[in-house]
Amino acid sequence: MATDDVPRRRDGRRLPLGAGRGIRVRTAAIGIVLAGYAWAAGSTTPLTATALVFVLIPGVVLAVIACWWPPERIPAPDKLDIIGVSYWAICVAALFEWEASAYKDNSLPWHPSLTDLINPLLEPHIIKSTAFLVWMLVGWALVRR
Amino acid sequence: MMSTRVLTIVVFGVVIAAMFALEFLARRPGSRIPTVGQWLGYLMRPRIGRVLIFLGWWWLGWHYFAR
Repeated sequence: MATDDVPRRRDGRRLPLGAGRGIRVRTAAIGIVLAGYAWAAGSTTPLTATALVFVLIPGVVLAVIACWWPPERIPAPDKLDIIGVSYWAICVAALFEWEASAYKDNSLPWHPSLTDLINPLLEPHIIKSTAFLVWMLVGWALVRR
Repeated sequence: MMSTRVLTIVVFGVVIAAMFALEFLARRPGSRIPTVGQWLGYLMRPRIGRVLIFLGWWWLGWHYFAR
């Protein structure tokens, strides 16, 4: 085994022998649990207490992790390039403006809101479950930031 | 002639595609454009920013999956 193949912590220290396999097994187990949870969440009916609970649990779990057991965070940049950020700002503002104008018009068929366009796409169970899984992973990515 | 509904959908599509393009450009070496993770991380440096971004994430889940 080459020296570079030895599993290491983020600070460069070596992990104990077998730790790499243990991490992979733990990651796989968490992935299976999350996929199962997303599959169950995808089968809930909107506007029910069950659907609300399925959304509440990841929020509470991630909030608890963020407050009491924060993971090693990816350092945020000290400053951002103002020109580079302005491109993002234009896109985000355009998206919000277009959504707000649809909302103001009560999302009529001739100017539907993003929600009215996305909701039919989320109707198939597999799509809704996948979207739910992505939503949970985005939440975890935010906790790590 | 393009109907207003199609125009609305096209504009949403263009804006979202532009965001994906920005993320792609931001990941090139030496890019001055921040990735979405970088500017979100920057916004989350103060505690209030972290809380608001987290609430926004949760609201999205509630909006699309619970109602």
